[in-house]
This record gives sequence, structure tokens and C-alpha cells, in this order.
Amino acid sequence: MRDYDAIVIGGGHAGIEASLALAREGFDTVLITQSLDAIGRLSCNPSIGGLAKGNLVREIDALGGEMGHLADSTMVQMRMLNRRRGPAVQAPRAQADKFSYSRLAKETLERERHLSLFMDTVVDLIVEDGSVAGVVTERGWRISSKVVVLTTGTFMDGRIFIGEYDAPCGRLSEKAAIGLGDSLRRLGFNTGRMKTGTPARVRRSSLDLDEMEVQDGDDPMLPFSFETDRIERPSLPCYVTYTNDRTHEIIRSNISRSPLYGGKIVGRGPRYCPSIEDKVVRFPDRERHQIFVEPEGVGTEEMYLNGLSSSLPEEVQHDFIHSIPGLRHAEIMRPAYAVEYDYLDPLDLYPSLESKILSNLFIAGQTNGTSGYEEAAAQGLIAGINAAERLKGEKPFILSRTEAYIGVLIDDLVTKGTKEPYRMFTSRAEYRLSLRHGTADQRLTPKGYAVGLAGRERMERLEAKSARIRSAKDILKRTRIGEKSAYDALKEPERDILSLDVPELSGYPVSILSEVELDIRYSGYIERQDRELEKARKAENMEIPADFDYDSVDGISSESKEKFKAVRPLSIGQAGRISGVRVSDVAVLAVAVRSSRRG
Amino acid sequence: MAKYATGEPIYALATPFSPSALCVIRASGDGVLAIFQPHFTGDLLEARSGMAVHGFITGTDGCRIDEAMVIRYSKGHGYTSEEAFEIMAHGSLPVIRAISSLLEELGMREAEKGEFTYRAFMHGRMDLTEAEAVEEIVKARTVRGSSEALGRLTGSIRSEAEEAKDAILDILASLEVQLDYGEDEIPEEWTFPSERVEAIRRRLLSIAGTFRSSRLFSEGAIVVIAGRTNAGKSSLYNALLKEERSIVSSVEGTTRDYIEAEAQIAGIPVRLFDTAGLRETGESVEAEGIRRTEGLMKRADLIIYVLDPSSDDEPPEDPRVLPVWSRLDTAGRHDGISFSSVTGEGLEAVLDAAAGKLTRDLEALEDVPRIDSERQRRKLIEAADALSDAEKSMEFGSDVTAMYLQSALSSLGELTGEITGEDVLERLFSSFCLGK
Repeated sequence: MRDYDAIVIGGGHAGIEASLALAREGFDTVLITQSLDAIGRLSCNPSIGGLAKGNLVREIDALGGEMGHLADSTMVQMRMLNRRRGPAVQAPRAQADKFSYSRLAKETLERERHLSLFMDTVVDLIVEDGSVAGVVTERGWRISSKVVVLTTGTFMDGRIFIGEYDAPCGRLSEKAAIGLGDSLRRLGFNTGRMKTGTPARVRRSSLDLDEMEVQDGDDPMLPFSFETDRIERPSLPCYVTYTNDRTHEIIRSNISRSPLYGGKIVGRGPRYCPSIEDKVVRFPDRERHQIFVEPEGVGTEEMYLNGLSSSLPEEVQHDFIHSIPGLRHAEIMRPAYAVEYDYLDPLDLYPSLESKILSNLFIAGQTNGTSGYEEAAAQGLIAGINAAERLKGEKPFILSRTEAYIGVLIDDLVTKGTKEPYRMFTSRAEYRLSLRHGTADQRLTPKGYAVGLAGRERMERLEAKSARIRSAKDILKRTRIGEKSAYDALKEPERDILSLDVPELSGYPVSILSEVELDIRYSGYIERQDRELEKARKAENMEIPADFDYDSVDGISSESKEKFKAVRPLSIGQAGRISGVRVSDVAVLAVAVRSSRRG
Repeated sequence: MAKYATGEPIYALATPFSPSALCVIRASGDGVLAIFQPHFTGDLLEARSGMAVHGFITGTDGCRIDEAMVIRYSKGHGYTSEEAFEIMAHGSLPVIRAISSLLEELGMREAEKGEFTYRAFMHGRMDLTEAEAVEEIVKARTVRGSSEALGRLTGSIRSEAEEAKDAILDILASLEVQLDYGEDEIPEEWTFPSERVEAIRRRLLSIAGTFRSSRLFSEGAIVVIAGRTNAGKSSLYNALLKEERSIVSSVEGTTRDYIEAEAQIAGIPVRLFDTAGLRETGESVEAEGIRRTEGLMKRADLIIYVLDPSSDDEPPEDPRVLPVWSRLDTAGRHDGISFSSVTGEGLEAVLDAAAGKLTRDLEALEDVPRIDSERQRRKLIEAADALSDAEKSMEFGSDVTAMYLQSALSSLGELTGEITGEDVLERLFSSFCLGK
């Protein structure tokens, strides 16, 4: 008899989704965290969503995850990004109230009947016959379970750096999880070091707001969740300011005091989200860098300096922050710092996020080398669903690259691995025209429902929405605009559905009409993409047997053979995406797999 | 259709089955050296890989078949990367037959079409474009044809495609940066680099345009001699056949509608058709004959149109037509190209003009690598089309523009065989006739 069906280690964005998915599917689950007060923290920027990330949030929601609800209930500003650049690359981003977000996350977990919360630090895994069977905690508890989901974020052997100062922390003044990394290495896990950073927080009343540009959000605020109808809450502005020569000069003359440049930090940081010292060093010709000053919430004076992440000593931070208009008198409440932590090589995972090294162990979130709340939550959800599928004895739940950003995210991780903290980008998705954020429910809710996570009500909402979309299209098809139908007229770029003025559509909400408009406008392009997608699906459907003997095919180069053996791709499609594998090797593999199947 | 496997001993005649100085027969598969050694007086088993060994081949009855050189290839070397050997014997038909039946008796099977290439591919000896080029070399009929096919082996098409891909990738990357970071972070608007894209597009189209000229070299040009009755077509045909020494064979058309011969003009393999005798037969046959001649002229790469200077005949308006005037000896010189089948005067000029017309497209394209298959041509056109669609889509949304640029990239990727799209695999399976 096991203590629980499932143990989830960690209470961050991955842990929240994983534990809720398991508990909501009826499995007795315990979430073990080092601090019950830190559940669902927005450790870095106070915002949810953004380009590609906003799509992830909506997909999480469509499957029955929680992130969309949490964001909708706590947002203090929302903007639709890339409005001018085409709907496929548009995405919502919200500023959230950090404290409400975290508190609501904890309350949501507490409301769950099958979910227990326990504060302790996991230091080791219990292993029986090559499978994980439970965990050992710092205070000596041995807790058994059938499956374990590991979501340790930046805490595993975490160490923070501020100039010459460093300390074993996962976040500033929050102690790192020491011991688990060593235990995992002992069990044969491949670990590496990664680095990320966060900027200083300054006091709002000390800022010269009139020296900065005001950036207001959209009105009304649009929700992430397909279950939220509207959000009525006052919106808070953000502010924009810029660095200057003086700022850059201060940074340059102190660069040797940065632990990044001094060699103390070995872990790799993200190229797309560089610290200010990185930007100054790497782009010496740039006269200025943009800084967004964002509120951390309603009930706090703390403001987040987006674009100024740094690991320079605190007095240097003071100097360069004070050189920036609007921030000349800023009171620094928390310093910027860098954090270096252990991650586990995601190549050791199956697309279900189950470990290849230890069965029944699922791993999600920043531990897998990603960055971002949304990426973490998406993995947490998929790991939770798959842990539940395992408990039910069902086949793994895997989303393909053709149907979801989540599919792209996980396939990239387990097929290509990552050398820097992985962030979602729209350009990583080859079929992004079909992955608009507004269609996440149509793409994924039926799957979430089938697996038992998305509820009946969610499904009914989707059915109602789909029916309205269909009927609006029918109306457009039979309405004439001059020579052609209104439906065809919408394919012209200069038309839009509201200006067509179709009386029969007056009762339809704008959200439905804009989905209809995009469907119609993009239909030709999407059909074109679908043809390419069909090709990809075929390669995806050419399954490689789990026990396929790569050594028996002598035509595959030894380098590719090693890579195939390391990744153990499930399909020819996946095999073709492994980095550095020769195409002809994939072709040979395809032929060999075909003939082995034929007998 | 046979299902390919590797390892099973196979053999094939690598040179044409026709009398010539030398013939090459190759064999490949597990243990082929040991199987063959008892019937060869040279010591193959001791020879180094890639070494030619001299000796006599003897049949199963102990009689000598021929004196030959045999090259040994150990496993891991040679064309297929399997254990293999190549026999170079005298190219007489009885010798070829005798060696073939010896190998059959020794338990080897004659290779299916493309089977050697398939094995080479399966053993990682070549990638898809290379495999394709080898097929072309086998098919190529002249020196220039095969040197072009060889050019592809070293990857001239690939490097062109890589260059174009690089340029498109640059453009796409500059757009993607804008799509991946919001207007907040990168406020500048992206503008379509029309000139750069147009340059790439033109280059792709000009490579695609070489398909016809490539085909001329590998499949041969169709040259038709046409003209009115008694204009002197047959005389020209016969005179040309006498003039040109490289004629391979002369076959009478089974329908007697036309006579066909294989020849070479300026190194281009030519199928020369004489439509003579057409209107000299009965009327019902004539109608059918005219239909066939018209069909032939439609397919022709060059029409040598013979005119009698004394007639009022005019050459047809068609860029493929080369008008020539007969009876130079009796009717005198005309303004155009004149010849006499009787004296042979002017025949050289007819050949030169024909060669000039056949190669005119080719010379303009000297610096452009040639492609050899319809698939390659299609991929180039697809990529070029996607580029022009990309520009047109700008008013729609840059996400669509990015899709078109992406699509141009993937067409070029499929060209070089870099993308394991199912269509490439399908093509692979079909051209190697794998079992379903």
C-alpha cells in the first residue's frame, strides 16, 4: 500500500498544474514544497503571456489547466501584442498582481479534495526495480507513491550572485534545495548548470513618473481563459524609459566585478533575455536600451525594471539605475541578482515527459532547461496528465507540433535538448498559422475532455462557440456584397467583418466575429499549410518500434547512430528533427524501419 | 516487384549490351569473392582492395571464357560498400553471355534496376541527390551528359540551392525577429526586400530552365527532317548519315512512316528522323502518316526543313525550324544554307547550323548548373513561386509572408534532399522499386 498515488515535488507553475491535473482526475496526490508561502510565485517579471507564451497559456487553459484562470483573476493590465503583424503572431500579455496571483494559486490548490500540501524538502528518491517508488525528505520522511512528478525549478543546488556576494539560494533569501541534485546524479541523471537573472525592484513613490513615457493597456482587458467572459478591473499603466551613455559607462567600468565576466558563473544564460551588462558589452554601438517599468501589483509600491537584469554589485546597480531618467531618485527595495542552478538534460525524457532513466518519474518545468512561467506550466500540465494516464494504465498523452505550441515545446526539448534556457518563440512552430491563440479551445479542449481533465461545462462552451462560428459563416455565405458573397469579400485584405455591416450578425459577440473573420481570411493560407502539415503527419505516423536495433542497420553513420540511441525517437518525423543527424541517415532509417516491420 | 535486400550476391553488366572493346560486369554481396575465385586464375583473395588482378575466367566446365582484369573491393570499400568485384573483359556478346551465365550458375542473381545504387545508399555511401545523379550517369548517353551528371555529384546544384537558401534565411530571420518580439521592443516596420528576392527568384528560374538542355544531353535531341515531297529530304538524310561517322544504328520505322537513326551532332546525341516516303504511298496510309509526322514534329527539338529552290515553298514559322535549300549543284546557291546531296557540298554547313540551333539555349546558360530531373525542376519552380507569393502577401500580414519564405526554404531543402519529407521517401521507394 502506497501513501499516495502521486507525489509532486515543487509548488511553482509546473507543480501547480501537475498536482491539479492529477488531483482533478481523482488521484490522491501530495504536493511537497520547501515553502507553502511561495506557491505560484512570479519570481521574475510580474507578467503572464507574451508572444508565443500567450498561446501557451491559452492552450493550457483549453486542456483544463489553471494558469489562464489565475491570470484572469489577478491581471492589472493586458495588451494584445503584434496587432499590426498578423493574427498568427499575435498574443496576449498581462501584468499580474504578484501577491494576488500567488495567494490565489495556493487557495486553488487547497480547494482540491484529492490534493494534500506538505512543507518539507525532498532530498532523495526511493527506487524499486528501476522505477521511482517515493521520496525521502530532509526531515526524514519516507513517502511512497506510484508516480512522482519532479518540478524543482531553479532551486536544485541554486546559487545566487550579486557582484562579489553569492549564497546557496533558489530566490533571494530563499534557501536552495541541496542534496537532491547529488542524489539524482548518483542515480545516473545527466545534470548541467544554467543561469538566469532578475532586475532590481524600485519604490514607486521614489520615481519621477513624469520623466517617462506612459504605456497603457488595452481596454477592455481580454481574458486568457476560454471560461472567462469578461474582466472588469481598473488597469494600471506601465512606464518606458531608456538607458544612456552614462549608464553604459558605469557598467563598462565595473564589468570585471560581474560574476558572469569574472568567471564565477559557469552556467549558460539565455541569449534572448540578456542582462544589461551583456547588452552593453555585446552591442557597444547601441546608444540606448529600452526599459519597461512595471507594477508588481496593486497593494505594493514595488516596480519591476524590465530590461535591467544584472548581477553587478549593489552599489554599481545603484549608480547605473540612478543614471536613467525617471529613476534618478529611485529607492532600490530589492537588488538585481543572477541565479545559477542544476537542470536535468531533457534528452533523457520521452515525449510524455517521463524519464528514460527511471520509470514512473515525470519531470517538468525549469528543471528541464526551460525559462518562463508559461513554459513551466505547460510542461507541468502534460507531466501531470501523463502521470495520471500511467496510473490509469493508458497510453501517453502527446500533443504534436502540428496541433499546439505545447507540442512544439516538448518535442524540441526531448528531441533536440537545449543549451540555454529554452523560451517559446512563434518561429519555433512551423505551423503557427494554424496555432492562433484564439483557436486553442477548438484544437485542444476535446483532447482535454477525452483525457478527463477539461470538464463537461468547458466542452459545452466550445460546442456553443463552434456552432455560432458555423452559423455566422453560413450567414456570410448567403449574404451578397455586390458580385460576390460576403464570405468571399472578406478574403480581400481591405475588408473587415464589422464594416461589412451584415444585419443578421448584429447579435454576435465581437470575439466570435473576429474568429470567423480570421478563419475566412486565412483559409487559403491555412489550406496551403495543411498540405505541408499532412506531409509532416505522415513522417510522424511512421512509428519506430521502441526496441528497434539501430546497430543492425549498417548504413547509418556512427554519429547519427549514437544520437538515435540517445534520443530513441518514437517516429521518423522525430528522428529527422534530432540536431546534427544526417538526412540520408534518417532516410536509411526510414527504409530499414519499413522493411523490419514488413517482416 | 522484387523486394530489395542487401548482402545477397548480385551482378550486373555495367556497360551496354552491345559489341565493344571492353565490357564491365560488377558483382556485389556477402562472400562474392570466395564464390568467384575458383573460376579465376588470378589471386583475388590476397589482392588489396581497389587492386586490379589479371587472369583468365573459366566456366564451370573448365573451359576458358576470356582473359580479364578483375578489381577486388573489400567490405567497406567500393561503390556499394559491400564485398564486391568488377570484371573488365572483352566486349563481345558471347563473352558477356558466358560470364553472365557463369555468375548465375555460381548462385548470383542479376541485379534489379537501381539495386546497386540502392545498396550504396543503404550503406551510407551517398545521399539522395548523389544517388539520383548516379542514375543519370547510367542513363546519360554522351560524354558531356555524363560529365554533367558527375558535376551534380560534387554538388553544384546543392551549393546553388544552399546559397539561395542562405539568402532567403537571412531575409526570413530579419522578419522573424520582428514577429518574435513585439512592437514594444522592435518598433521599426519591416519592409520587403524586393530587389534581393527578385534576384534570387530569377536565379532559381534560370536553373529550372536548364532542364530542357539537360534532357537533350541525357535523352538525346529529336531532330526531324521535314519538307515537301521531292524537296530532297531523303537525300539529305542519307548524306548526313554518310557524313556523320558516329552513327550507332539505323532502324526502319515499323510503320514505315518515317526512318529513325541515332547520331551525334556537336556531341549531342540525336535521334534523326526522316519523314521521307510519306506522301509516296497510298492515300489512306498518307492521312495516317501525316498525323504521325505532325506528332513527331511536335516533340522535335529541331526541325530541318528542306526546300527546293525552284518551288514557292516557305519554311514554317517556328523557332525550332532550320530552313535549308537543296540542289546546290543544279539550282545554284540560295541566300540561306544550301547543300548538295550529290556533291556533299554544304553538308558541313547544315550540320553546323543544326548544332548551333540545338545548343543556342545552352550557351547562354554556361554558368548555371543544370538539373536533370523533373522533380528538381518542380522544386525550383515551387521555391520561385513561393517567393513571389511572399511579396504579394505583404498587404495581408507578415505572418503569411513568413510562411511563404519558409515554404521557399523547404522546397529548396527538398531539392537537396535535406528534408525527409514523405515525398522524398516515396520517390526513393518508388525509384528503387522496394516492395510495398
